Amino acid sequence: MTMFFRKTKSTNNSAAQNQSPKRTAAAQGDVVLSVRDLHVSFASEAGTVRAVRGMNFDLRRGETLGIVGESGSGKSVTSMSIMGLLDSNAKVTGSITFRGEELLTKTDAEMSKIRGDGIAMVFQDPLSALTPVYSIGEQMKEALVIHNPGMPEDEVERRSIELLELVGIPNAKERLKSYPHQFSGGMRQRVVIAMAIANNPDVIIADEPTTALDVTIQAQVLDVLKKAQRETGAALIFITHDLGVIAGVADQIVVMYAGRPVEQASVEDIFAHPVMPYTMGLLGAVPRPDRDKTDRLVPIPGSPVNLAALPTGCPFAPRCPLAVDACRANEPNLEPVPGRNGQSAACHRTREILDRGLTFRDVYEVGKGVASKFAGVPRERRAVVLDVQHLKKTFPLTSGGFLRRKIGEVHAVDDVTLDVREGETVALVGESGSGKSTTLLEIMNLQQPESGSITLFGQPVTKGLKRAQRRELHHSVQYIFQDPMSSLDPRLPVYDVLAEPLKALGWDRKRINDRIGELMELVELNPDQVDRFPTQFSGGQRQRIAIARALSVNPKLVLLDEPVSALDVSIQAGVINLLEDLQNKLGVAYLFVAHNLSVIRHISSRVAVMYLGHIVESGTTTEVFEHPLHPYTQALMSAVPVPDPIAERQRHRVVLQGELPSPTERIAGCPFASRCPLRLTLSEEQRAMCDSQPPALKQWQPDHVAACHFAQVS
Amino acid sequence: MLKYIIKRIVNYAVMLFVAVSMTYFLASAFMDPRSNYMSRHPQPPVESVNRSLDNANINDQTPIIIRYLHWLKNVVTKWDWGLAPDQSPVGPAVASRISASVQLVTIATVLSILIGVSIGVYTAIRQYKWQDRALNVVATFFLVIPPAVLGLFVAFGAIALNNAAGARIFFVTGLHSYEGSNPWLWFVDFLQHIVLPTIVITIPGAVSYHLTQRTYLLDTMNADYVRTARAKGLTLNQAIRKHALRTSLIPTTVNIAFSIASVFTGAVITETVFAINGLGRYFVTTINNNDINGATAIAAFGGVCTLAGALLADILSAWLDPRIRLS
Repeated sequence: MTMFFRKTKSTNNSAAQNQSPKRTAAAQGDVVLSVRDLHVSFASEAGTVRAVRGMNFDLRRGETLGIVGESGSGKSVTSMSIMGLLDSNAKVTGSITFRGEELLTKTDAEMSKIRGDGIAMVFQDPLSALTPVYSIGEQMKEALVIHNPGMPEDEVERRSIELLELVGIPNAKERLKSYPHQFSGGMRQRVVIAMAIANNPDVIIADEPTTALDVTIQAQVLDVLKKAQRETGAALIFITHDLGVIAGVADQIVVMYAGRPVEQASVEDIFAHPVMPYTMGLLGAVPRPDRDKTDRLVPIPGSPVNLAALPTGCPFAPRCPLAVDACRANEPNLEPVPGRNGQSAACHRTREILDRGLTFRDVYEVGKGVASKFAGVPRERRAVVLDVQHLKKTFPLTSGGFLRRKIGEVHAVDDVTLDVREGETVALVGESGSGKSTTLLEIMNLQQPESGSITLFGQPVTKGLKRAQRRELHHSVQYIFQDPMSSLDPRLPVYDVLAEPLKALGWDRKRINDRIGELMELVELNPDQVDRFPTQFSGGQRQRIAIARALSVNPKLVLLDEPVSALDVSIQAGVINLLEDLQNKLGVAYLFVAHNLSVIRHISSRVAVMYLGHIVESGTTTEVFEHPLHPYTQALMSAVPVPDPIAERQRHRVVLQGELPSPTERIAGCPFASRCPLRLTLSEEQRAMCDSQPPALKQWQPDHVAACHFAQVS
Repeated sequence: MLKYIIKRIVNYAVMLFVAVSMTYFLASAFMDPRSNYMSRHPQPPVESVNRSLDNANINDQTPIIIRYLHWLKNVVTKWDWGLAPDQSPVGPAVASRISASVQLVTIATVLSILIGVSIGVYTAIRQYKWQDRALNVVATFFLVIPPAVLGLFVAFGAIALNNAAGARIFFVTGLHSYEGSNPWLWFVDFLQHIVLPTIVITIPGAVSYHLTQRTYLLDTMNADYVRTARAKGLTLNQAIRKHALRTSLIPTTVNIAFSIASVFTGAVITETVFAINGLGRYFVTTINNNDINGATAIAAFGGVCTLAGALLADILSAWLDPRIRLS
């Protein structure tokens, strides 16, 4: 494979650039990139935004550096300053040297010689990273020719095909003629990676490369990225907010907060014994996908800093439980932690933390949860809140002509059966396009479904439902959306947002006022702030307002569509705790859709796994996570990154081949058959069964069903 | 692709037929050519009026359906679009005006696209720099000036120039006045006539292309794929030229294709100010003179222009944007 990676450059390269595979190995461990005292600031209307304040690191060949931080911590700005791609209103000081050359003084034209050749980059959103009007072949060619002028046409094509094959794109030769919109997100990210490694870079910067992808696709892309790094011997800078991903990828980690590195160490040290309280908090706030819930999550109090108005002293001090006066007076520098080789932290209280062996449980207050109203009541004795049987929803596919003839159907939801009982959380999981949100919307719709049945609180939802009954049901079922910014009217003050559903109930003003005060307290917001507008709140607070709005009419069932995925880790924990407390206090049931399996393992009591509009497995959370029966569930569970570098290294991952089939196809047999790893181990006759007979949900274990003909019960 | 275009053209032909027929019926219902004759002094005898009206096939005493079929037969078999109430044939009148309007509008449209799009690109790349702000002020200024005011202003300016030079550099009326056979002199004469109205039509057009193209390019300039292109090693200007510009030209191209239809409305005000016999003025005249056949012919030509623009816009955007499939 190494021979594929001969430098394809024929002209204009210095001796240092021209590495044979042997030299690459010899050069392993050399510092290729070093960042010293990097400061970046932007002028904005709110004042000067100091996005990066003193970033330092050295990057060696073959090494992977993980940069972790929440939004606004300066991690992307750091990478963009290395690439020289910052806006012209950015003020950059300090030094970035690449192979001994200073980059910050270079012009755009000089930098363009290095970009894509010495340093390459992979961006977050693969859907928008490729130019829609050029074919993949043209874009690959551009990446090659810009640094190798005069490369002959056939050589360009040969190399493009070679690169696409390396990143795992089937039929590479034909696909060169395809346009970006003809590829799925995961495939486009592979193309971007192929372009990034086209000229054998010494440094690859990957900025949240898998954040926009589904978990099974994320696993594939991470594999490709690791392979690309191995083949090129390049150093990798991996930027992410996801501690699970970073645990499996990085060697060294830099944790950033408010534009500064606050802790730096090897991946093992960071995860095993973090020193800086922010790092501890970040790790403590993440739910674990590989363990049952033992405790409440520990949110970091307060909200992220405003970079345009930084406090004096340590920027984390306002949120830090250990902060003392010294912390508020001056900002600590990143200094080596005594007794820990290679670990450094920026904290005034490092010594005490070490001496007393503090962990995040000591630093942060682990709150007590509220006991559930239904604690001790077994599930069978609780009332059924929602019962869905064989729900089906199709959307017509119409031709573009004048008459809009129907030319097919999108089977968004094909066969969904689930039930939700009082006071419990049922989670729907699956890749995007599996029909999770459509299922929620169908329930919310309160219309007789196309096929199958929906029963709410014992009342079947049918055409004959009276207006009063329907209104009654509307109050009992509420919805919380993913994005609190777009689901709240920006021109309504919070008071009106909360009063709206109550006015619809015909309450008088006095009762509404009391209820709003009560609701604000319920979601842990200051009731005096009801006259503010949603934009004046942070993301987490906004989601609390959305929760308060949903709860205002005392619903018995709340449908939540990715309620925490738009939030930062430290904020997310607080919202999850709130949801748990409210459920325990009020006995409301949740039907919860999320793609983040860690969150689901933490919050839900039951899980239903969806694939292509079908429920393929359901059961209690522990059963489904620990002993998944359906091969799809098994692959899904194994793809979830675990925030633990040691566990992550020992894990066996089932990497699924291929992508979700189109929901417009009619599949005769099992919808998963085309990607099923289990099917490959079966006999001819068994395979024929998978291909021809759709498996029904079958009870394999007590309270654990799966739709697979050949599930293996261990 | 070819099949799509043919299907489209057939569709459009049907649409055009229905639209033109409806225009014919509407015009016949609302216009009263008889009044043209009846208001003359001395009033002509009724028989002679009827004879004239019958001759032009616009007699309101003949059933409309018979007039319509007769008119349709002439159009289809002889390409004869009928007579105006004053017995002059409509077809040649429209044709000569089309030629005048095309001369006037084509040059101005091409110029306004070239100038407007270039300024749009130039200012987008220099967003918020002084060049951008200055050109924006200029654009806003011309945007709020009504064409009549601009036309008169240009005309007066030209007259002042002529007076100052003591010679007739610019003509402020008509399109041609040279009657000899020297093509070079003919061309110079044409230029002397066309410059002023062209300026008046070009400026508002260029301003609108400037502002829209600037917005389109700014939208795509900060797109992720431009950043990807720069990350591959293209300089900022190369990345904008190759990746941002092409995508931002798609909506502009659609606008341009649709601007074909503006040939038909012509530029009524500019034509009036500079006394040019274009389609715009003709359209107004036909309506004023109860010229049923003339109005219908103009409507037919307008329909052809609009549909040709729509078809061209479809084909061009499919050609520029691979995401659009014509099928």
